[in-house]
Amino acid sequence: MDDNVKVVEAETSLEALREADEALRLPAVAEPITYPIETKVPDARQQTPAVGQRATRPDGRLHGLGQTKYIDDLSFPGMIHAKIKRAGIAHARIKSVDVSEAAKMPGVLATLVGAEIPVNSFGPSLQDQPVLASDIVYHAGDGVAAVAAVTEQLAADALEKITVEYEPMTPVFDPLEAMSDDAPKVHDPDSNIYATKVIKKGDVDKGFEDADHIFEATFRTQMVEHVPLEPHATIADWDGNGRLTLWSSLGRITMGRADVSRTLGLPYNRIRIIGTIVGGNFGGKNEITQEPILGLLSKKTGRPVKGVYSREDEFMSSTTRHPFIMEYKTGINSDGRIVARKVRLVCDGGAYCSWSETTLGKACILSAGPYNIDNLHVEAFAVYTNKTMTGAMRGFGAPQVCFAYESHMDDMAKELGIDPLEIRLLNAFEENAASPTGQVLESVVVKESLQIAAERFGWKD
Amino acid sequence: MDVTMNVNGRELTASVPPETTLLRLLREDWDLTGAKLGCDVGDCGACTVLLDGQAVNACLMLAGQADGRQITTIEGLADLDAFHPLQKTFEDLAALQCGFCGPGIILAAKYLLDTNPNPSTAEIRDGLSGNLCRCTGYTKIIEAVADTAKELAAKQDAA
Repeated sequence: MDDNVKVVEAETSLEALREADEALRLPAVAEPITYPIETKVPDARQQTPAVGQRATRPDGRLHGLGQTKYIDDLSFPGMIHAKIKRAGIAHARIKSVDVSEAAKMPGVLATLVGAEIPVNSFGPSLQDQPVLASDIVYHAGDGVAAVAAVTEQLAADALEKITVEYEPMTPVFDPLEAMSDDAPKVHDPDSNIYATKVIKKGDVDKGFEDADHIFEATFRTQMVEHVPLEPHATIADWDGNGRLTLWSSLGRITMGRADVSRTLGLPYNRIRIIGTIVGGNFGGKNEITQEPILGLLSKKTGRPVKGVYSREDEFMSSTTRHPFIMEYKTGINSDGRIVARKVRLVCDGGAYCSWSETTLGKACILSAGPYNIDNLHVEAFAVYTNKTMTGAMRGFGAPQVCFAYESHMDDMAKELGIDPLEIRLLNAFEENAASPTGQVLESVVVKESLQIAAERFGWKD
Repeated sequence: MDVTMNVNGRELTASVPPETTLLRLLREDWDLTGAKLGCDVGDCGACTVLLDGQAVNACLMLAGQADGRQITTIEGLADLDAFHPLQKTFEDLAALQCGFCGPGIILAAKYLLDTNPNPSTAEIRDGLSGNLCRCTGYTKIIEAVADTAKELAAKQDAA
C-alpha cells in the first residue's frame, strides 16, 4: 500500500475545525489581575488600619436576633437526656454503686457506671482523671454514675434512686499541708507534688547580700470558676455503623477526639466531633468532660443523648483557675533598683493535673514581672488536693503572679518612699531585654506604655 | 395542664406537666430557643422574656402562671423587614461576643427604654443588673443601650 497519501484536504478541514471551535468558545474572560509584586508591609509598631476602626462580628446579627443555635437549642428525633450523679464527698473509696432502682423507673432508658467505661482515665498531660469514678473519689464533683431518660426531669429524679456506698478517706485541702510527707496522698502514694519548675539566673544569695533592703511578702489568690453563661453541653449519637458523632461545646475538638478515642477504645476515624457556636469558654471547655459518658449511653439506647450541665455541675465538677500561694523575697537598693529576687510558687492543682504543668511553667517565667532582675531564683510546685479540679483559664498562671509582683512592687515603693510609677520605669524591660529564661524580647514598649497611660489618666494629679 | 398564651402576637396552646417553667415551655414545646437556660435559678437573666411588656426571668415562672398573658420573646422583636433598633445597635457596636446573654439583655434593655426612654448610665446599669455577661465587661452593651435611646429620641423628635 502506498504510504504517501495526499492529506491536503484533511489539513484544510482541520483548520476549519479549529476556527469553528474558536468561534464556539465563550467570550474571552477578563484579563487576569496582576497583583503588585511588592506588597506594602507596615513597619513594626506602626498602627495598622484595623486599629481605631469600628469592627462588627459576622455572627453578631444572629446573636441579637436570638437565632444562633447553641447545643441546648438543638434537638434530634428520639433524643433523650442524661444526668450525672456527683459524689458529694471529697475523698472516699467506692464500695458499691447500685443503679438498679433507677434503671427500673419508667422513662429511664439506660444507666452507666465507671466500670463500664473501656479506659476510665483521661487528661491533657497526665491521664489521672476518671470519666466516672469507679474505685476512688478524688473530689466532691466526681461523677459516680449516669442515667439517660426521656426527659431531663426524669433523669434528675432517677439520680436520687442511685445508692452509692462510700468508705470515707482522709482528704487534704490545703496545698502547703499536702506537700508534707505525712499528708494524706491524693493519687501517688509517695507524694502529692506532681510538677516542679526551677529558674536560676545569676547569684541570688550574693544579690541579697549586696542589696540595701530586703522585702518579703506572701500573696495568695483564690480559685475562680469560669462561669460561662452557657453550661457545658454535648449531644452524642452512636449510630448503627458504630460511629460516634458528638455535637459539643468543646473548644479543642482535635484533642477531644483523641481523649474520646482513648476512653472508648474507638479508632479516630469512627469519631466525629462537631464544634458548634460556644456560649463562652474562657478555657473551661478545653477538655472533654461528659462526652464518653453520653457516647456510651447513646450506644446502649440507640438514641441521640443530650447532656447539659446544671449550674451546680458547672461549679462542682468543671475546671477552675488555679489558686496560688506566692512567696516573694526581693533585694532592692535605696534608689529603687531591684538586685535580687527569690520566688516560691505553690499551685493548688485540685484533684487532677489537667493543664497545671503548662500553668506552672508560664507562672514561673512571668513571676519576676517585666523587670530586669540580674539575680533570680524561682521554684514552683503543682500539688494535688481533694478539691475541685483546676485547669486552663485565660492567662494560664499569668494573672496570679502579676497580682503578686505588682502588689510587692507597690509595697516596696511605699516603704522606700519612691513613686510607684518611677520604681517601675527604673526596673522595666527595654528593647532586647532578656526574659528570666533568656529569651531576647522584641517590640518592648513597657516604659512607653506606662508613661502614655500615666499621662492620659492624669497620674501626677 | 393546658396553657394558652399570646406569644409574639400569636395565640399558642400546649399541654404540659404542672412543674414546667415558662422557659421550658417556650424552648421545648414551641421551639423558641432565643431565651436561654443559663442557671435555672434566676441569677443570670439569659432567660429574660417580656410578660405583658415587663421583663421577667422565664426560668422562675411556671407555664401555668403565664396562662392567658402576653409574651414577647427575642424572636418577636424583629420581623423580616426590620430589626428592632436595639438589635441593630448591638450588632453595629459588636456589643455581643459569645451572644448567649444577648437575647436576655436586649429584652431587658427594651423594657428599660419602654419605661424610661432617656436613661442615665447609672439607670442603664441598674436596668441591666439582672443580666450577667462574662465576655464583654458590659462597656459596649451599656454604650449600645445609650446609643439606641438617643436614636429613638431623635426619631421621636423628627416625627
